[in-house]
Amino acid sequence: MSDAPFKNPGWAGNTGEFDLSEAEVRGDDFVGDRERAGAHPSTSATYPYMLAEKNPDVPLFEGEYHERFEKILTQYPTKQAALLPALGLAQEIRGYVSPESMDRVAELLELAPAYVRGVATFYTMYNKRPVGRHLVQVCTNISCNLCGADEVLAAFLRYTDTEMGETSDDGEFTVIEAECLAACGFPTCVQINSRYFENVTPADVPKIVERLKAESGEASGS
Amino acid sequence: MAYPYVSDQEVRVLSTHFGDPSHRRVDTYVERGGYEALKKALEVGPQGVIDVVKDSGLRGRGGAGFPAGVKWSFMPKDSGKPHYLLCNADESEPGTFKDRELLRWDPHQLLEGCLIAAYAIGAEQVYIYCRGEFFETTQILAKALEDAYEKGYVGEDVMGSGTTIHVTVHVGAGAYICGEETGLMNSLEGKRGQPRVKPPFPAAVGAFGMPSTVNNVETLSAVPHIVKNGADWYRQWGTEKSPGTKLFCVSGHVERPGNYELPLGFPLMKLIEEVCGGMKDGRALKSVIPGGSSVPLLNAEECAACSLDYEGVQEAGSMLGCASVIVMDETTDIVKQVRRMVSFYAHESCGQCTPCREGTAWMTKILQRIEDGRGTEEDLDTLLSMSRQMTGTTICVLSDSAAAPVVSSIEKFRDEYLALIRRGERVGAA
Ligand SMILES: Cc1cc2nc3c(=O)[nH]c(=O)nc-3n(C[C@H](O)[C@H](O)[C@H](O)COP(=O)(O)O)c2cc1C
Ligand code: SF4
Ligand code: FES
Repeated sequence: MSDAPFKNPGWAGNTGEFDLSEAEVRGDDFVGDRERAGAHPSTSATYPYMLAEKNPDVPLFEGEYHERFEKILTQYPTKQAALLPALGLAQEIRGYVSPESMDRVAELLELAPAYVRGVATFYTMYNKRPVGRHLVQVCTNISCNLCGADEVLAAFLRYTDTEMGETSDDGEFTVIEAECLAACGFPTCVQINSRYFENVTPADVPKIVERLKAESGEASGS
Repeated sequence: MAYPYVSDQEVRVLSTHFGDPSHRRVDTYVERGGYEALKKALEVGPQGVIDVVKDSGLRGRGGAGFPAGVKWSFMPKDSGKPHYLLCNADESEPGTFKDRELLRWDPHQLLEGCLIAAYAIGAEQVYIYCRGEFFETTQILAKALEDAYEKGYVGEDVMGSGTTIHVTVHVGAGAYICGEETGLMNSLEGKRGQPRVKPPFPAAVGAFGMPSTVNNVETLSAVPHIVKNGADWYRQWGTEKSPGTKLFCVSGHVERPGNYELPLGFPLMKLIEEVCGGMKDGRALKSVIPGGSSVPLLNAEECAACSLDYEGVQEAGSMLGCASVIVMDETTDIVKQVRRMVSFYAHESCGQCTPCREGTAWMTKILQRIEDGRGTEEDLDTLLSMSRQMTGTTICVLSDSAAAPVVSSIEKFRDEYLALIRRGERVGAA
């Protein structure tokens, strides 16, 4: 991957040969800001975003989040079908799905708490414990692996100074291995919170880590 | 240069607007002839739509290659029950990256295809099941859907026809098995995404117990073009049994990996050498997986004779699957890559069937042992006999998929296994 024509490393598809902006590739320019209350009911379940700002103690499904939850319910013939979106919503709000969050979801959807836990543990995207502000998931499946994904993973662990799956002391990073992310033509693909970073080589890793730290700095106003 | 790579050998039907961000906007889509096919569908009626799709010979692009029009004709008529169309956007087969491109560059093409298919099978509700990792992609689709609702292409009165079709975007939460059509239905219903025993088939008892049809993103994205231009037009490309164009996802050791839309039946070596700019750094070809990680490997000799249509790839000794062409050069460690694929299946097995749950886990261990130089020749026999027990014995074909690369790699690249085993013996690792 080359820096040209953009200075920001690792955006989707940046091989240095294309003339689109990062926002155009990601679709940010088209999507714009979406409402936390969940715009149109047909798309309310398409959140959650995976947010860097995680707030494990805030109440679940209140205010605009309650609105979004209600909209989601209108889309299915059963309440149970809202389970995955509801767990996702809980994770968006709190950063992970705690036993207490699962119990609350069970109550709202009139399901047995044990059933909800059984479903939640089936799916890998629900964090069962808190993760860093940036959850870095490096694909090491075959297509990326053929092109050096193991080295990219090692570089992320080195530059974030973490062990696999452990959160860095400053709470910034958790690095894990991921299965194929459906971006195999631009290896290595790395998912960081909700964004894909493609064409990532070990040499790009320090730049990406710097960028993420800078974004954290901006978010906290420092 | 536009994004992503293109080749002058391509026939771009579905991928015409890849790399053009303006095409996501509903006005642009309509200016370019969008939603005309939906209008036409509403005029010719459900049976008219089914007929033209049947005649076109369009086959399912999710892996199995089942004719789409035939699948739609299995849906009951006048059942009095709600019907559902489920669009499978769970794309997670290693090596496959076409549906994400279709979703993020041409969301209205997919929505139009969903609406036409729903109309044909009498469904008033469509669920588009997107894999959870597709945050960015799903936001693009969601915005496009909101625009389509606003313009009256979706909703209570589709294009003023009195027909109701609602579309909902649903997101998964990270489980490969939810791509299997009955696993998808369970997941949609708020359950573990475990596949169901068939029969009953989805057309009889599907999502929420109602008649349902599951189709892949690429299948549905082809539908508007067929309805608009006719079956003969579509059949000008491809072969008699595999008509039309197909997105080929090429990854691995080629100069220009990416999605290329080509007529079915395109020669594999021409794809690698001409379309993709040849092997990376001019190295020699060792093996190709032509259809995603679930299909057998081909060796270089088999590649030379392989044409990329459903029948052609089968003759060469593998399957077209979702046309995910994974190219491996002479430097590739086959045992390592097979182990990596099998460990994926071990991770993703839903655990219902013993041969799959136990088999994938044991195979991973044995392959790791061989990779580490602690294997024996008997291990190869064990792997082959396990593969036999894992094939054709389980609820879904994930188990068969895990066995396929193991069997084919031992058959075709036995020397690589033996070299690791012998090296281990020499240094005394065993
Ligand atoms: C383990 C497994 C995973 C699958 N994953 C997907 C997938 O991610 N996307 C997909 O469209 N089809 C997938 N399929 C195939 C679906 O079961 C189904 O055949 C397909 O969605 C039907 O659509 P089509 O007829 O348009 O191809 C998978 C099948 C199996 C057995
Ligand atoms: S074959 Fe494997 S994935 Fe499929 S149903 Fe059985 S255990 Fe689950
Ligand atoms: S193998 Fe890495 S994204 Fe598919």
